[in-house]
Amino acid sequence: MLLQIDNLTKRFGGLTAVDGFNAYVDEGEVVGLIGPNGAGKSTVFNLVTGVFPPTSGRVFFDGEDITRKKPHTVAELGIGRTFQMNLLFADFTVLENVSASSHVYPRSSLFDMYFNTRRYRRNEAEISDRALQILQLLGLESYKDELAKNLPHGYQKMLGVARALATKPKLLMLDEPLGGMNPSEIDFSLQAISNARDSGVTVLIVEHNMQILSLCDRVVVISFGQKICEGSPREVRENEEVISAYFGGKHGSA
Amino acid sequence: MNALSRFAADKTRSAGYGILVVAVILLGVIPLLMESLYSLHILVMVFFYVIAALSLRAIVISGQFPLGHAAFMGVGAYASGMAAKWLHLPPELTIPGAAVFTMIIGVMVAVSFSRLRALYYAMGSLFLGVAIIQILNAGGTWTGGYSGFSGITPMFGNSKVSWYYAALGLMILSAAALYRFEFSRIGTNMKAISQSHLVAESVGINEAKYRILAVAIGSFFVGLAGAGYAHYMGTIATSSYNFMATMWLFMYVLVGGVNNFFGPIVGSFILILIPEYFRSLKTYSPFISAGILFLFVYLMPGGFAGLIQAAVARVKSWRRERARDVAAD
Ligand SMILES: Nc1ncnc2c1ncn2[C@@H]1O[C@H](COP(=O)(O)OP(=O)(O)OP(=O)(O)O)[C@@H](O)[C@H]1O
Ligand SMILES: [Mg+2]
Repeated sequence: MLLQIDNLTKRFGGLTAVDGFNAYVDEGEVVGLIGPNGAGKSTVFNLVTGVFPPTSGRVFFDGEDITRKKPHTVAELGIGRTFQMNLLFADFTVLENVSASSHVYPRSSLFDMYFNTRRYRRNEAEISDRALQILQLLGLESYKDELAKNLPHGYQKMLGVARALATKPKLLMLDEPLGGMNPSEIDFSLQAISNARDSGVTVLIVEHNMQILSLCDRVVVISFGQKICEGSPREVRENEEVISAYFGGKHGSA
Repeated sequence: MNALSRFAADKTRSAGYGILVVAVILLGVIPLLMESLYSLHILVMVFFYVIAALSLRAIVISGQFPLGHAAFMGVGAYASGMAAKWLHLPPELTIPGAAVFTMIIGVMVAVSFSRLRALYYAMGSLFLGVAIIQILNAGGTWTGGYSGFSGITPMFGNSKVSWYYAALGLMILSAAALYRFEFSRIGTNMKAISQSHLVAESVGINEAKYRILAVAIGSFFVGLAGAGYAHYMGTIATSSYNFMATMWLFMYVLVGGVNNFFGPIVGSFILILIPEYFRSLKTYSPFISAGILFLFVYLMPGGFAGLIQAAVARVKSWRRERARDVAAD
């Protein structure tokens, strides 16, 4: 088991956003995490990556308890992620965005960085090589010197994926990677994500767009912070509870 | 580019090395050409304030807005002044010592502020600055209270020309050290944090570490500037380090151009020298400064350094075109 989420609960004041949630991701899998708006999907992501601590419960990654670790530590341990509200380094170029994850490379001390030692120059060369490879993989290389804020929305989303991949993650966590994309961008992104999977990365995806199911080995459905169903994409699609969660309750949109 | 479009990890630094060399040579020969000791005095002041403004920039690029920064200049000034006056230590020792002392205080504050962001950080540092000034004011005979104290151990036999070269040298060294810092991966990581701390952390950048480091560096250099300036003036008072003084440091950074390493340098020169030039109109000098600020922020969002850069780029592209035309002939 690469990721194990164990009885995770998060309360924001009176609101229980995540409520005794359990899930796991095995190495090499692509797992979908779906559920209506406000179900707690992004909160699960933020708990796993340490953006805020859980009220109770634990998270294990690669055999290690990462429950209260800081986000930068979680990144170093091998979880790369994107954000739903498409955050990026707006005033950096595309290449600089993807090169920003220098930390996960063989450690350079502040001394190395300041004096630009030989060891450090080697690191930097490796970083930009890898960044370029990733941009190529995702079809962004022709934009490499463009400022991130000037990219079209769909490309900005892909840039987020590229940036996360550059951290050399064992697990890639994508929060609505297809959100706000047009159909051709969606096709392109699905292809890019499956390329990433083929390169050996394990993937956990939150997505409303059901086209994503074609990529998933397994799907976990969350509603009101609780897991209501889990199984193959086909099983989930036919599950009564899932159908009522999406189409029956007040959280109508999917 | 918008004035607040923040600190792109730009490569604009390559522009105008020539200008830099000329400027340093010019500053180097000024004492040989200029009779007026008063003009030298003003320039020495500018040199110290350039260090202070650059130190502010070092913190600002990490996304922190220390509204009490000038108070740390005061910490350096008082630490060195008091150690020299009351403990009779030599200034050669107290000045670097005061810089390190200021850095330690800065780090202690940075650690306790490391969870504050944006407005909360700004407000916190504002009140901290006020508190530091209050403490210095309350220091009795040790600090001289509101009126401060004088008789701070002089250096270089108080020779203006010696002071001029010492301050110029200190400014160049400090600028070089800070330049290296900003354009290494360290500075890039800080700029990344200022654009989005969430994204920066998600790619493994330790936000707290880099923010504390930025304050450490900024405090060291502002303490250095404060200490050097105190020994140069021979007298200090808290009024030079209050909130208004911080605002002036911010203005030097703004007028020079926030997106540019050289902004604080150019800004300090302009905002200190121009009002000096109009000194006969002393009553109006606040208005003149305000007018300059207005002009720069509205007409030259890239600041003055941005303007110089644009001019350099213009000349370069013009030269390239001409070279192409010649080649085509
Ligand atoms: N930082 C926060 N403070 C307070 N409440 C929050 C916070 N983050 C999320 N919530 C609340 O927790 C609940 C779950 O939110 P979350 O963003 O995890 O949902 P989601 O499943 O990602 O929904 P969507 O599909 O709309 O992105 C919502 O009711 C939301 O308002
Ligand atoms: Mg969400």
